[in-house]
Amino acid sequence: MLTALIVMPAVAALIVALIPRRRAELFLPIGVTVSMAPLALAGYLFIEFTAGEPGFQLVERTMLYAPWGFSWYLGVDGISLPLVILTALLVPISLAASVAITHRLKEFVMYTLLLEAGLIGVFLALDLLLFFVFFEAILIPMYFIIGIWGGERRIYAAVKFFLYTAFGSALMMAAIIALAVLTGRETGTPSFSYTDLLDLSMNQSTSRWLFAAFALAFAIKVPMFPLHTWLPDAHVEAPTAGSVLLAAVLLKLGTYGLVRFNLGLFPQASVDFVPIMAALAVIGIIYGAIVAIVQPDLKKLVAYSSVSHLGFIVLGTFALTSGGLAGGVVQNVNHGITTGALFLLVGMIYDRRHTKQIADFGGLQKVMPAYGAVFLFTIFASIGLPGLNGFIGEFMVLIGSFPSLPVHAIIAAAGVVLAAIYLLWAYERAFTGVPEKPENQKLLDLNLREKMLLAPLVLLMLIIGLYPKVLLDRVQPSAEAVLDRIEATTDYVAPAPGRLSQVLLIGEGE
Amino acid sequence: MIAPPEINWLAILPLLILGLGAAAVLLVDVQWKPLPSRLNLLAVVILGLAALGTGAQGWWLSRREAGEVAGSPLPFGGMVVVDRYAIFAGLLLIAVAALGVGAGARFFESLGRRAAEGLALLLLSTSGFILLASTTQMVMMFLGLEIGSISLYVLAGFSRQEARSEEAAIKYFLLGSFASAIFVYGVALVFAGTGSLDLLEHRTLLDREIILRPAVLLIGLGLVVVGLAFKVTAAPFHAWAPDVYQGAPAGTVGFMAALAKVGGFAALARVLVTGFESYVGTWGTVVAGLAVLSMLLGSFLAVVQSDLRRLLAYSGVAHAGFILTGVVAGSSGVGSIWFYLAVYAIQLVGAYAVVAAVSGAASAGSPLSSYAGLARRQPLLARALTILLLGMAGIPLTSGFIAKFGVFQDAFRAGFGWLVVVAMVASVVSFFIYLRVIVAMYMQEPEGTEALLVSRPLRVVLVAAIAVTLVLGLFPIPLLRLTAISLPL
Repeated sequence: MLTALIVMPAVAALIVALIPRRRAELFLPIGVTVSMAPLALAGYLFIEFTAGEPGFQLVERTMLYAPWGFSWYLGVDGISLPLVILTALLVPISLAASVAITHRLKEFVMYTLLLEAGLIGVFLALDLLLFFVFFEAILIPMYFIIGIWGGERRIYAAVKFFLYTAFGSALMMAAIIALAVLTGRETGTPSFSYTDLLDLSMNQSTSRWLFAAFALAFAIKVPMFPLHTWLPDAHVEAPTAGSVLLAAVLLKLGTYGLVRFNLGLFPQASVDFVPIMAALAVIGIIYGAIVAIVQPDLKKLVAYSSVSHLGFIVLGTFALTSGGLAGGVVQNVNHGITTGALFLLVGMIYDRRHTKQIADFGGLQKVMPAYGAVFLFTIFASIGLPGLNGFIGEFMVLIGSFPSLPVHAIIAAAGVVLAAIYLLWAYERAFTGVPEKPENQKLLDLNLREKMLLAPLVLLMLIIGLYPKVLLDRVQPSAEAVLDRIEATTDYVAPAPGRLSQVLLIGEGE
Repeated sequence: MIAPPEINWLAILPLLILGLGAAAVLLVDVQWKPLPSRLNLLAVVILGLAALGTGAQGWWLSRREAGEVAGSPLPFGGMVVVDRYAIFAGLLLIAVAALGVGAGARFFESLGRRAAEGLALLLLSTSGFILLASTTQMVMMFLGLEIGSISLYVLAGFSRQEARSEEAAIKYFLLGSFASAIFVYGVALVFAGTGSLDLLEHRTLLDREIILRPAVLLIGLGLVVVGLAFKVTAAPFHAWAPDVYQGAPAGTVGFMAALAKVGGFAALARVLVTGFESYVGTWGTVVAGLAVLSMLLGSFLAVVQSDLRRLLAYSGVAHAGFILTGVVAGSSGVGSIWFYLAVYAIQLVGAYAVVAAVSGAASAGSPLSSYAGLARRQPLLARALTILLLGMAGIPLTSGFIAKFGVFQDAFRAGFGWLVVVAMVASVVSFFIYLRVIVAMYMQEPEGTEALLVSRPLRVVLVAAIAVTLVLGLFPIPLLRLTAISLPL
């Protein structure tokens, strides 16, 4: 079943490839339709998945090439499940949002579907070589999506995106080879399987070097400060669908990888690296937020807000508490939903006005009330208004990181306030007041298609915000399993679960 | 009484077929004056027969291993060897040559009456490199090297009207002869050090005895490595390659580069692995140094090239470095080297076939600007070149990735982890090189608008090269298994 989930989008791309080029009107509808199949299967996966179990489920394992220890090894746990579903959900949405693309549409749909296959493959792969293959293969479709359908400086942005990420993953590949060779020396049979590598014993410096190689690759992908500079360029130049998938899923490869591989494979090194990672995460939170405040370009603003939001995820991850870890995973999903929605919304206004400068708008609320309402709602979710999804994730991260990293948590909390500033200020400038510019006065409100695109995302913001149990039941056990392993293999002891009462007690000085 | 050497005609069957075939092409041309396109076909048929001959060797070898037939794998007094290593090399060289005929079909046709000479040279060159790969005698290696190389020198200057083609030929000839001289001097010193020219005897000698003053032997070995490093364009012995590959007729460059690389590496790995593996501690470091230099120089110099043919030549230097990364692993790296060579050689022929189609089969030079907007002018060529370049870059899901992964893994296992890190950095630089070309093809406006023709032989070559890149990228296991057993005696 997991194999089918990877193969299906690739087959979908093939189906699109078979449509004759002159029937251009068919590409998008068929593309959206065929991408429903993986979504349906992902829904089925959600049902099949047993909540409350920490380990990998629905595992498929076939040895492909024994001399290397390379196998087709797939599995899903609470950390990867939400991301798989998110990917399957966002692909049809971003395809359907791409009506503005007329030039070489067929390739666009194909690249998007191939991207989906690669993304799902990354989240499901439990063989490190297989993981790397998907991780790297994603670059090609994304490179073309930015480079062909992007804005004016698209070539610069595409090459920058490609080289940054390729550099990170190059060192990761060396580390993956090292891991396989080390298992080969220890057990006699080399293996790339995640579960085999867990048993590998390494000396301290080896594990630190390997941790650093993996962390570099993922930190570029996240992106963590100071490796984030490719992100604003890539986001601003990418077409809407590219931005949505980039923000909502591609960046999650980084945070997912940090949890799965860095924490999973190098427990001791993870504990050792906490100060660096947490400090960079907090710098990213504050820096991203401050830079976002001054952005005149709406898309760039959302891009920098991603830097800030992903800082929360990294902070939660490296707080090494069950609340922080689970909060990080939850926030992965939340950021995917809200930022995906924000990029969709920016894309919609760009299609109408062909500008993304906040200064060019003003008073949109009066002209496009539905659009304004959804925008505000999404902003609230992104800021973390209680009752919406962002609150759950950010609150868990902050509560979770307070016991182990109180100073970081306090500084990070300022990031929440800054988020309110840059998002609400942007909203104020673009939406409130009187529409003074004549171009803005006759803009059309959301049409049915656009409403239908946004509806599932808005719904998810509400569901996760009001009933997070549906997500937490699946995430929490797997996150705790990661932590348990760290505690079992190192002398690290996670602080007691950060319940609110405890936090308050500490505050009272008891 | 001296026992007469064992004769096994099967051992030299491919060489006979190619040699007689080359003569046959010339005679047929004199007698019947057929169209050049018919001669192309004849050359492919001869190569096909040679492939069958090589296949027969494989069949014989497997029956011999099963004990069904008698006979030594070292007939003719050990002058040639029939082992899986030689058979794989033979099949690969023949495949490269056959694709080379396809890629150069337009060029040979444009030669008119001289087509037969060109094709005969191609066949002779192939036979020379096959001999180079299928002997453990260093003097026979020299013979093969010269037969192979001299034919290529002539081919490099085959466009007599082009000054740059002449220049390429002279340069290639002078520097190539110089390298051959170094090689043969090295062979002489090795002989002086060990008293033998046979790599198998070197192996038994070095296993049995410790040479107290190995300086002469080591200098000799070093010179042999230098001579072969020249042929495979490893830095710092690469300087001729960009000029030659830029100036030689476009239709011939692909197989010219690929044959020399496959033959050169086959000989290099056999010398180092079969003869002198016990000195791996000594030559390993030297080869690693060559690898580092080749990877870094090749990648960084390729970045500043404005001519695709020079760019591919420099990237070929980098690829030589990547393959050398596998050579340092000694005998455990041979399988990965073969996989890499097989994939890269065919991609190289394919890439130069596109060059020949874009800038004319007999042309010299191929500026990058002529590839701007190629996707618009001739989508098939652009798509083919993109896939081949991504394969050379080693992007996953192409066979280039498996190739790189294999050699890096072997190097790591042999304790050259630092070399792998350097190699990874170099391959990121090489991403940039190939991306430049892809950007030009897909994201820039075309200069001219005239449509480019894709002839049928060219189409076959491109499809084969794409298949090698993509099909072997998705399903590499059969070839991995095959290369893993293609070991020298």
